[in-house]
Amino acid sequence: MELGSNVNENNFKSIRARGGLNIGLNARTSEKLAFALLTLSAMTTAGFVVIILAYIIYNGYSAISIEFLTEMPRMRMTQGGIYPAIVGTVYLIIGSMAAALPTGIMAAVYLNEYAGENRTTWLIEMAISNLAGTPSVVFGLFGLALFVKYFGFGSSLLASCLTLSLLIIPVIIRSTQEALIAVPNEYRESSLALGISKWQTIRHVVLPAAIPGIVTGTILSIGRVAGETAPILLTGAAYFLPRLPDSIYSGFMALPYHLFVLATSGTNITQTRPLQYGTALVLLMIVLGLNLIAVLIRRHYRQKLKI
Amino acid sequence: MFNRNYKEKTIESVLFSVSVLTVVILFLICLFLFRDSLLLFKETSLLDFLTGKFWYPTSVNRQFGLLPLLLGSLIVTAGAIIFAVPLGIASAIYISEIAPPKVAEALKPFIEILAGIPSVVFGFFGLVILVPIVKDLFNLPTGQTALTGSIMLGIMSLPTIITISEDAISSVPSTIKHGSLALGATRWQTIYKVIVPAALSGISAAVMLGIGRAIGETMTLMMVTGNTAVIPSFPEGILDPVRTMTATIALEMGEVPQGSAHFHALFAVGTVLFIITFLINLIADLIKKRYRFKVD
Amino acid sequence: MTEAIQNVSHPQIEVENLNLWYGEKQALDNISMRIPKNSVTALIGPSGCGKSTFIRCLNRMNDLVKNCRIEGKVSIEGNNLYGKGVDVVDLRKHVGMVFQKANPFPMSIYDNIAYGPRLHGVSKKDMDGVVESALRSAAIWNEISDRLESSALALSGGQQQRLCIARTLAVKPEIILFDEPCSALDPISTSKIEELIVNLKNKYTIVIVTHNMQQAARISDYTAFFLMGRLIEFGKTKQVFQNPREKSTEDYITGRFG
Repeated sequence: MELGSNVNENNFKSIRARGGLNIGLNARTSEKLAFALLTLSAMTTAGFVVIILAYIIYNGYSAISIEFLTEMPRMRMTQGGIYPAIVGTVYLIIGSMAAALPTGIMAAVYLNEYAGENRTTWLIEMAISNLAGTPSVVFGLFGLALFVKYFGFGSSLLASCLTLSLLIIPVIIRSTQEALIAVPNEYRESSLALGISKWQTIRHVVLPAAIPGIVTGTILSIGRVAGETAPILLTGAAYFLPRLPDSIYSGFMALPYHLFVLATSGTNITQTRPLQYGTALVLLMIVLGLNLIAVLIRRHYRQKLKI
Repeated sequence: MFNRNYKEKTIESVLFSVSVLTVVILFLICLFLFRDSLLLFKETSLLDFLTGKFWYPTSVNRQFGLLPLLLGSLIVTAGAIIFAVPLGIASAIYISEIAPPKVAEALKPFIEILAGIPSVVFGFFGLVILVPIVKDLFNLPTGQTALTGSIMLGIMSLPTIITISEDAISSVPSTIKHGSLALGATRWQTIYKVIVPAALSGISAAVMLGIGRAIGETMTLMMVTGNTAVIPSFPEGILDPVRTMTATIALEMGEVPQGSAHFHALFAVGTVLFIITFLINLIADLIKKRYRFKVD
Repeated sequence: MTEAIQNVSHPQIEVENLNLWYGEKQALDNISMRIPKNSVTALIGPSGCGKSTFIRCLNRMNDLVKNCRIEGKVSIEGNNLYGKGVDVVDLRKHVGMVFQKANPFPMSIYDNIAYGPRLHGVSKKDMDGVVESALRSAAIWNEISDRLESSALALSGGQQQRLCIARTLAVKPEIILFDEPCSALDPISTSKIEELIVNLKNKYTIVIVTHNMQQAARISDYTAFFLMGRLIEFGKTKQVFQNPREKSTEDYITGRFG
């Protein structure tokens, strides 16, 4: 408040100095100029998105065909499709979500519904925000040290899934917490007042009401899993593997790493450009498709709540 | 009755244990990073590692000097922040204060999409589009430079900076805003003299988190900065290839024998990175706490 | 005051020397009161006088408030709610509560009513009967019996509040607490709920917080006047309104403050 009143006073003085109500031409001109610049900035940001998407879609769509999506790479990855990479990415999504989803939701429920204001809670909150800010390559190193080496899983689907799940647990906790906070307290009160226990209240009223938010957060973290490269590079993704992973201990191909390999260290980088664009487009479509679904779910439930 | 209370208590303890898991993970990350890093210092002293000017991990006279990588990360991040911060804050102001509601609603998905694009796709785009442009524009032997990395990284940090700044700006109480407008100030005067100062700590937190995001980025930089581990000169080094800490880890880990000094050196680099981002997050957290208090 | 308390020969709720603090602030100051069975007791007083805090002590909803400390005794049929080994969840089955703002769950009408009984173990085949009788007792069955599967959120405010009453009745409590149940409703919905409350007292003991003195006068048998965390006066409604013993009660009732 102190801040606000100071500034108001300054404005008042400057306005008086310019002769009362007559706002100077200068003020109007600089406002116009400033607004033009701000508008330009926002449009530039949106422009980046349009350019990147348009470029990849324009160059990528011709590479995409049924064969591209369903065939193994051939001729040292200069021909053929990306089937094993798609399957690998799907496995990564399933595996890491299976580990991260229950963990994240349970932690969020504890923090939002049970935790008191004490040192332990503070410590947990601190750990979550730090995990959220830790670079993915550091998670990769950790996965390498713990899962690949210490637990002896080797460079494998299992090690990669677990590493990715650590990466998205903070994301799932935060979005679930937000969804739980948005559930009106009246639901909890009226359920408790009916003689329903706390856990039953959470299970039958709070969680169902929070589901749209939880689903949205989950879908966004699936997008994150699909796109992450550094952690899987260190824990199990294969440069080239012309078959599907046959167990959780085998290596695997994944879309983002495949794109990286083709674009930087493939056998013939310029010749395989169409494959690169195609792979980038498939990856982008998966991630953006998931984002779109999340937006639609959010909108659907927002409208439903309006009745 | 006894049964139900027992069940309730059990459920609460299970949920509690799962949330404590986050602390355990953080602790294990520290433990495993430090453990493997410390093994490096049997070979190289900590001081040599931190102040060493050369990163020659595979030559006969191998040297593990952090400086080229650290400065590489810093110059790329600084470049990114210089252009992403003004652009991001300006976009946030536009979206929350100036844009008609419909335009603001239409712009938000763009920010979300930008946040969702995988970093390897950014890297690929930078590699095929921006690298040739930078090469031709400055007439360089290669377009894989610190500048190229900065531009891509700047674009990638925009969503973080915009979303968090926008939160801070829209949580400035409208009474303060109306007070200024009622005194005859223009909207622009109100924005830069009242709203932005009031949201400043939130905006600073956004900038910190943007820096954290930028310094930890790996794939994009690996693909567009050329990965040459030399200490960048300043300021003309912005047009030279550099190598960041993140790229070094990702590039070299695949080729080193596990348990070698090189392997441990990469863990030491990872530890430095972890400590830097840890501190950045801590600062952002502290700033955010202060700002919440202020708004209340 | 003492006279009124002695008049109640078989109190169902007995409050003795109840004190309550929110942090440092004392919100209830040494309240003692005996509420008789099968009657409507109205709690009146200006905002912030403690009447809502008090009613929330009767089903221990204040347990949910952080930094809330309670001393004293509240007994129902002779059992102290704040004694050792009391199961709060079980207690709330016996003491139902209807809130100020109608707050149906985001489910169908049927599921709103069935929610409590279902979790308390009523079987599926008995459920239809339980739901119907609760809705009938809450005088809303005729209006909505044809759309039990539609969302409860689509009902009008008054209907939502009666639905919440039905939801409470379905759990079969002995006591029902009403916390300003009509403050957000129009006069017609209000009169429906008032009529309902008067009918319910044949089977239940009712305590109602209201800021509307006409409402208290219309529907209650006993009235308690609270001021600044204290119980100033408690007696038969007729006596409290027509012949208040305390000066401040008279001032409040005649509208001199509040």
